Amino acid sequence: MIDLISGTFSLAQAGYPEAMAASTLNQYLFVSAAMFALGLIGFMTRRNLILMFLCTELMFQAAGLSMIAFGRYHMNFDGQTFVIFVLTIAAAEAAMALALVVLLFRKRESLDADLWAELKG
Amino acid sequence: MDASTLETTIHPLLLYVACAIGALGVVIAMPRKGVSSAIIGGVLAASAAGMVILGLLFTRGTDDHAPNLFFHAFAILALGGALRMITHPKPVYSALYFILTIIASSGLYLLLSAEFMAFALIIIYAGAILITYLFVIMLATQAPDEGDEDALSGYDALAREPVAAAAAGFVLLALLTTMMFRGTGALPVHPGLNGSDAILSQLPGKVEDSLLSSLRKEGLMESAEGFARDGETGRLVIDSAQRRIQIAGDGEERFIVVPEEMWPEYLVGTNVEGLGLNLLGEHPMTIEIAGIILLMAMLGATVLARKQVDIEEEAKARQQRRLAVEGQR
Repeated sequence: MIDLISGTFSLAQAGYPEAMAASTLNQYLFVSAAMFALGLIGFMTRRNLILMFLCTELMFQAAGLSMIAFGRYHMNFDGQTFVIFVLTIAAAEAAMALALVVLLFRKRESLDADLWAELKG
Repeated sequence: MDASTLETTIHPLLLYVACAIGALGVVIAMPRKGVSSAIIGGVLAASAAGMVILGLLFTRGTDDHAPNLFFHAFAILALGGALRMITHPKPVYSALYFILTIIASSGLYLLLSAEFMAFALIIIYAGAILITYLFVIMLATQAPDEGDEDALSGYDALAREPVAAAAAGFVLLALLTTMMFRGTGALPVHPGLNGSDAILSQLPGKVEDSLLSSLRKEGLMESAEGFARDGETGRLVIDSAQRRIQIAGDGEERFIVVPEEMWPEYLVGTNVEGLGLNLLGEHPMTIEIAGIILLMAMLGATVLARKQVDIEEEAKARQQRRLAVEGQR
């Protein structure tokens, strides 16, 4: 019943339909894990500086998918809230990374990551 | 559901064989000198992903929200786009395939009832971040010479250590999926509806709007009338036991009884309302931190990419001469 004075409600759950089974969650988690692994492989194999950063974005994306899936399974909004912050960090990372890439490109006139091998220390 | 292990979720042999086949497919699809074999590798990797997804399908329980055709289409698009992104020798095409992956994952978000995040993903990721990447790629990639359009930069045409990287990645995938499938059975099956019962108690305006529109539609209220408010608290004057609500018109105040079918008992909060309440109510500090991070990124990018524009002396003199000639006209 609705009681606007005391502010207590008993209502259907907001925004979400009924609960999701763990077997369904598994499928989304598999897609997310496979996407993460592909991003990792891409980060290790590509030699283009920009594409290496693009592969980290792919890994962000995989993490976001699993957070949304877990939030759906637990029927709360924390997962979606975290994805908002993942998007924020991704935007900040893109700005910084691209500024760095432009800086590095000016020095060597190339995007080859191997040209910076002396940085390995 | 009892505590499930890996065996009740998927046959371990199937999972590991699929991981091995997927790794082989990715290695074959990697750019290399000579023949391009992306199609063979892509088919192999796709068949591996299909094996795991089918293996998961066999063990699913009775569930209304079990993955349907849309899930499989979006999953294949997302994984295929990701595979093509990390193997395509041309950087611009890689970025475009990543946009495909983003759009497919926003379809998956829609299936997971995260409508706001699905569209925010398209707008922010595909619309803003990826376009910035594309811009920098086009800025920093030299145009191929006339005549041979297939000429690629050497660092794009040749993958670095494809076998070792694919082995590491797919061992990680096998371990991750093993641990996750083992763990999901231990999760609580019907957790509490956290944050959903409370949503509407924090949204009295939504309840008020619903009451107002339905009462006006039925002619129980004039359009000039509104709900009376308590002088001290500012809340509606309402008697929920008898479903009576006080109306304030021009001068006179009266109570009307709301018909039962109009009583907004089954109002639900939408995705955006729930997300907004969760964001501002439970994680307010993170917004501040995100703001600081964005500010720092903006400052850092400006400082990093700043450069004194020094035109060469010759070019400067040439420009001055040109300006002088134009000035004489």
